[in-house]
Amino acid sequence: MTFFEEQLEQGIFQICYCEKCNHAIWPPKEICHLCHEETKWKESMNRGTIIEFSKKDSVYFGLIEIDDEIKILGEILSSTEPEIGQRVKMAASFQNKPKYSFTVENN
Amino acid sequence: MNKVAIVSTGQTKFSKEETNVEKSLFESSNKCIQATRNCDSKDIDGVLVSTNNNSKYLGAILSEMNDIQPRVSHSIEHLCSSGTNAIISAYSYISAGLADVVLVSGVDSATNPGQVLEWDKARGSFEHPIFWASMLTKAYKRKFHTTEEELAIVSAKNHKHAMDNPQAYSNEPKTISEVMNSKQITEDLRILDCSRSCSGSSSVILASEQTAKKISEQPIWITGIGQKTTSASFTKNPLEEIKSTHMAASSAYKMADIEPRQVDVAEVHDAFSVCELMAVSELGITSNEKSGEFVRNLFNTENKMINPRGGLIGAGHPLGATGISQTIEITHQLQGKSEKRQISDVRTGLIHNMSAAGTSSSVMVLAN
Repeated sequence: MTFFEEQLEQGIFQICYCEKCNHAIWPPKEICHLCHEETKWKESMNRGTIIEFSKKDSVYFGLIEIDDEIKILGEILSSTEPEIGQRVKMAASFQNKPKYSFTVENN
Repeated sequence: MNKVAIVSTGQTKFSKEETNVEKSLFESSNKCIQATRNCDSKDIDGVLVSTNNNSKYLGAILSEMNDIQPRVSHSIEHLCSSGTNAIISAYSYISAGLADVVLVSGVDSATNPGQVLEWDKARGSFEHPIFWASMLTKAYKRKFHTTEEELAIVSAKNHKHAMDNPQAYSNEPKTISEVMNSKQITEDLRILDCSRSCSGSSSVILASEQTAKKISEQPIWITGIGQKTTSASFTKNPLEEIKSTHMAASSAYKMADIEPRQVDVAEVHDAFSVCELMAVSELGITSNEKSGEFVRNLFNTENKMINPRGGLIGAGHPLGATGISQTIEITHQLQGKSEKRQISDVRTGLIHNMSAAGTSSSVMVLAN
């Protein structure tokens, strides 16, 4: 398992970033592709924004931008239809594959 | 650059049944070799296999099965656009003088590992293509006011075309209403909006100009090629556009020295209904604002210029064989051999093949 996956298993979404270039490296890798410096890790703020969404059976899912720079697909937990631009809170886990779920804030 | 032509074609019928990839490869390649004139195995000096299958050493295996001892042989994998990329590689070998006659065979079985890209951690637990397709469809409808009916027309049209394609995995017609009332997969996708993974194999032989004129009565020339990869993970691209297709098409048109309006017939990568609307727009054949109206007109006037063999939705999608099968259709159209699917006065044809939510696209222009 990678460090990213191990941390996800603990419920922590680690963002890989380059201190020198000041940007996130996604998907995570050890070396920055721009300056070739070793990358660092920081914990996600676990906050995001809904970019787009759809629904399968009774489950909403969508594309979410977290920490203002990384876009990922996950479940959206909402009792009403989500809206684009809505702020969400992320819960991440890992069981054979990553699982991201988002709760609409003030829901 | 030396000119390169497609000189022969061969394919198996696409089916839902699980098949042995080596057997399918042999079947389509053998048909292809037999269809040439004055060319046998010993004249072939390149063998390329495109597939997502995990079987190893298929380039050498297919060579041995056909009694070929090539100068160049290997496999090529690039998810759904493996097929056109194998053809582009064969073109490059011939054009560079490293090979003279190259057999390109694509294959996949119904259950193949090419549908899920595990590396793309951005997909989380929503790794199946239906999820990115739902995102693209929703965003496209939102931005360009495309209706459910316009999306359904893509599928109804391509199913109708596939009725005249004996190699298609299904020849059943589907009405617009049947598409719109087919099983709901997600809020934005019906089952008939989706191409189906299936078994099948397709082969072509490419040759240098000098040899092509000797072994084929109707060589079809590859006049334009463009390939562009913008990323591997789908979340790095805007949802409403397929930049890789736009850029690959620009390169191909420039190389062929043509404008999009000169395209008489095209096979485009309709992995899902929305992909055809996006493709015809990014290829410059119409615009995103008019793409729904464009396919409606094609359907109403029985104009088969887009996806005459039925596209991926109608003919099926054996990943590694798809790009080669698209190329075979355009080759036959340019040779006047498409029987019931034949379009009149075809001079220029186009193939559009793409991978993983349009993160990579390949475009080829063919001429007779």
